[in-house]
Order: sequence, then C-alpha cells, then structure tokens
Amino acid sequence: MLYRFMVFLCLLLVSPVFATEQVKVDYMLNCQGCHLPDGSGFPARNVPKINDEVGKFLHVEGGRDYLIQVSGSAQSDLSSERLARLINWMLVTFSANELPSDFQPYSVNEVHQLRQTPLINVNEVREGLIKKIQELELES
Amino acid sequence: MITRWLDNITEKSVRQGARKTSRRGFLQGVSTLLVGAVAYPLLPVFRQGAFASESVALQEEGDPNKCSYWRHCAIDGYLCGCCGGSSTSCPPGTVVSDITWIGTCTNPTDGRDYIISYNDCCGKGGCGNCPCQRDARDTPIYRPQNSNNLNWCTGSQADTPYHCSLSVVIGVRE
Repeated sequence: MLYRFMVFLCLLLVSPVFATEQVKVDYMLNCQGCHLPDGSGFPARNVPKINDEVGKFLHVEGGRDYLIQVSGSAQSDLSSERLARLINWMLVTFSANELPSDFQPYSVNEVHQLRQTPLINVNEVREGLIKKIQELELES
Repeated sequence: MITRWLDNITEKSVRQGARKTSRRGFLQGVSTLLVGAVAYPLLPVFRQGAFASESVALQEEGDPNKCSYWRHCAIDGYLCGCCGGSSTSCPPGTVVSDITWIGTCTNPTDGRDYIISYNDCCGKGGCGNCPCQRDARDTPIYRPQNSNNLNWCTGSQADTPYHCSLSVVIGVRE
C-alpha cells in the first residue's frame, strides 16, 4: 500500500506542463505576485493574508464593497466580468470556511458599479473593517 | 563485534525481504509504475504547479544566459545564470523574494503562452553581469502587480539589496 502511494507521489512530481484555467491565470498575473500562490500574503510587509481571511469581510457592513473597491481589484486591468469571476473564485478557493451561510457571488454588474469608486484611504477603511470583524468574532 | 552485528542485521533484513516479497510482486510493481506513468497525464484532473517549480516536459530552445532567451521577455535586471545561479535558482548567498511580479511569454518552440514568475534574488549587491531589460506587457508603476520596474526585494523577507532576477515557468495558458 505504502509502495503504491510512493509511486503515486513520484508520478505527481513528474507530471508534465499543465494547462491553467483562465481564472487561475488571472489570479497568477494580477494577485499571486504579492498574495502568493496559497494566498498567505506577506503580512510583515503589509501584503494581506487572503486564505482563511477574505471571506470574513462579507460578514461586516462595507466589507463586500471593500473587496472590489480596494485598489488591487478596482484598478486591475481585468474586465468587470473577469474580476467578478476572479473574486468569487478567490472567496470559494481560499476562504470557503469563512463565507456567510447566505453567501451570494458577486454579479458582473455589482462589480462594475463598485469599481467606479475606488478607495483612496485604503488602510483606514481596512483597519475599520478588521476592527468590526474582530468585534464580531468576540461576540460569537 | 561490529561486523557480527552488521552480519546479523543484514541477514535478518534480507531474509525478511525474501519472505515478504516475490519476483512476481516486483514485476507487478514495475508494471504498475509503467502503466501508471503513461496513464496519469491523461487523467482529467486540474494540476497546479507548485511555486517556482519547473516542469520536465517543457520543450524549449535557447540559452538561458542570453537576454534573447524566450522566458526573459519581460525581465528587468541581471540574469542570475550569469551570477552564479541559474535562470531558476538564486546564486549562493542570496535569498529568493517570494513577492514578485508575474508575466507571460510566448515559447517559440511550441507557440504557447507561458506564465513566468520573475522572482528577484536578494541580500547581496547588484550582480552586474548580463543586464537585460525587455518589457513585454510591462505596465507603469501605478499598476505594480504588472510592473517589472520595481525592486521586489523590498517587499520580501529577503530585504533590500537586489542581486539578480529569475525567470521561472509556473503555468501555461490554455
């Protein structure tokens, strides 16, 4: 059994070049450079951690808007359609456990509207939201 | 004393091996490996490459230590291959910056677009060998995620001094 598992592992390591799906390519080209492949970011240098975190923003007022208005989203060169798909994918991929039970994916229209007003004072807004999230976590 | 102990250990393990395995079992294992190796890439599973990993199946031509090498299509810096490392690994004494910028280059050998991670190697002063600046799809600095004109070492665990840059294939576009 162990032997077969080892064989399987070896095969995994030598798997050939894979085609990458479009939403993943969008993540790689627009987010991964800083937020890293697993979404862990680099908090010591102010690159927010996404995995196990990003879904929490949907629990507090303003959080849903923030995820689109933050400069990395709003000012990316992605179309609103691709941005919506990317953010929905990131929420489900990196933070499924933190999503609200009534989670509604972003629509293209919603994303398009929100990104018309990108945030100027990102850090301030972010800190406010994180404070609200922490209060929510203390309550529960 | 020691040789006797070694003898005992060896004898024990060989006998145990003989009891537990058979020649057919060995053949079965090898066959499984062969069939598995052929069948595995055909399975309809999405495979995501690990960060900064290289694929063995990539077909390509060219010299990684020349600026004209296809993967360097959006690089801006010194080629690590000329600085004691390679195009995919940092020279000794430097640390790879995980935080980086990522672009795409067309591989002329197979005509496909590959996703390239241009990680900087940091911790030593500028290497100075093989300077190379090519700016395919590079964006102005106000779109930092797609700009090669940044010292990515400043945003990483490696810290500021910039030494050279890598060109690592991390995916391929469909």
